[in-house]
Amino acid sequence: MSTAPTSTPPAPERPLPTPTRESQPYWDGLREGRLILQHCAKCEKARHYPRPICPHCFSMESTWREAPLAGRIHSWTVCHHPFNFFFKSMAPYVVALVDMEAGVRVNAPLRGMAEGTLKIGAPVRLAFEPVTKDVTLPYFVAA
Amino acid sequence: MAAEDESMVHALREKAAISGIGETAYTRGTTQSGLALQLEASLRAIDDAGLSPRDIDGVVPYFPGGGIAEDFIANLGLPDLALSAFIPMGGATCVAALQTAAMAVATGVCRNVLISVGRTGYSGARVSTRLQQFPQFALAAEFEAPIGMFAPAQLYAQGARRHMELYGTTTRHFAEVAVVTRQHAILNGNVVMNKPLTVEEHHASRMIADPFRLFDCSLESDGGAAVIVSASDRARDLKKPLVTIMGVAEGHPESPASIAQRPDLLEFGLAKAAPRAFGMAGVAPKEIDVAEIYDCFTFTVINQLELLGFCKKGEGGPFVMDGRIALGGDLPINTHGGLLSQGHVVGLNHVIELTRQLRRDAGKAQVKDAEVGLVTGYGDMGDGSVAILRRAA
Repeated sequence: MSTAPTSTPPAPERPLPTPTRESQPYWDGLREGRLILQHCAKCEKARHYPRPICPHCFSMESTWREAPLAGRIHSWTVCHHPFNFFFKSMAPYVVALVDMEAGVRVNAPLRGMAEGTLKIGAPVRLAFEPVTKDVTLPYFVAA
Repeated sequence: MAAEDESMVHALREKAAISGIGETAYTRGTTQSGLALQLEASLRAIDDAGLSPRDIDGVVPYFPGGGIAEDFIANLGLPDLALSAFIPMGGATCVAALQTAAMAVATGVCRNVLISVGRTGYSGARVSTRLQQFPQFALAAEFEAPIGMFAPAQLYAQGARRHMELYGTTTRHFAEVAVVTRQHAILNGNVVMNKPLTVEEHHASRMIADPFRLFDCSLESDGGAAVIVSASDRARDLKKPLVTIMGVAEGHPESPASIAQRPDLLEFGLAKAAPRAFGMAGVAPKEIDVAEIYDCFTFTVINQLELLGFCKKGEGGPFVMDGRIALGGDLPINTHGGLLSQGHVVGLNHVIELTRQLRRDAGKAQVKDAEVGLVTGYGDMGDGSVAILRRAA
């Protein structure tokens, strides 16, 4: 293995999710270009992030259902300091926290909307960006 | 204080006291390990109490980072450790540890509990690396890091932005917290930031995660801090004036592992802890003479003042203006310079400063005739803790 001081450092890698037994269907859904959310099989409430038990009725049975892509801005930030080298070239980038129609929130980058136009309640739509063969990440665009 | 029925008094009220405090120099750059800083501060706290290391029979070290019970036994020669506990609540850990320690000494499980922090936040791993290793951050690591949200500055910024949009809070309010905190830091000899800060300098500092600029963010610094909690009836015989724990509580928010899914971004664990702590203490917010408020960000102070009941929801911005939170104001805050200007030892420096204030040993930053004070912890994306201390001797 070469450790010569002249070698270029490797490009920083994007941090990727490690799906769990609970969350795998959510990530599978994103890869297929769909928002698939966990719902309680008994009381039917949607929950996110995925977990084994419904906190409302304590049922351990759940189903995965496709949810609408529409949502409204709950809040946002504009990330200037990257905190991780991978994001350095993208900064500044907007990350919007969005109330989805299904009743859960999704936090994801918001593209194509100027910072000065952002408002609580503004309509947005979830979109999908494949970043590896296995992983697709969500982002938002104006609705 | 209003007269109360004896039977209504909380069993823990004033049963425990802060008997010793100790801290290292707060710096940016050290060759010492986190453990060494933690032990150095611990020795100072033990000496301040007039105790020997062998008198310590309970340890609640900040975790992760620094030492564990085994390190304290090995280094301090503790002969009979009766309690070893971790409180994994991030910035809410230290004040929550006061509750654990108070329960331990009030029940006779322990005589003297050592709470301590050792941190190499500047010379060691930085915040975005540290947090991804916390088990409590597993959801953030899976769902938020991949979309570019790593650090508390980013995760809390969305709450700050929402407060601004809903209530009209401004970065001028944020700046006031930063500027006043710096003024206080300059009065304390042991601080990282010792030069004055103006509102203009705050507004011109580089943007980190909008709306947070550099001077809205707490320091990444090196240092150690320690506190000893003893039973009040025993602490009376120790070296320093008695400072008792009147009330103490921790609180956990809904959706504790993800701010994103929290029903109200601006309502967190402190909202549950505050009424319990005030109830235990038997005092109201207006009776607080001095407050040390966990200041990981300027906005966090504003938000906590609302949840503590010092002002109504949404009014925290105007509340901090016009000298109210400065020395000489109605409610002096962070009289040592806080995490924003003194140093980041996860808020144990706030407990130390409040103890000094109530001992009337706070030097140029002394709040005149301070009798009752309050200290908070906030962290781990929304855990909260609060203690109300009193000068009892």
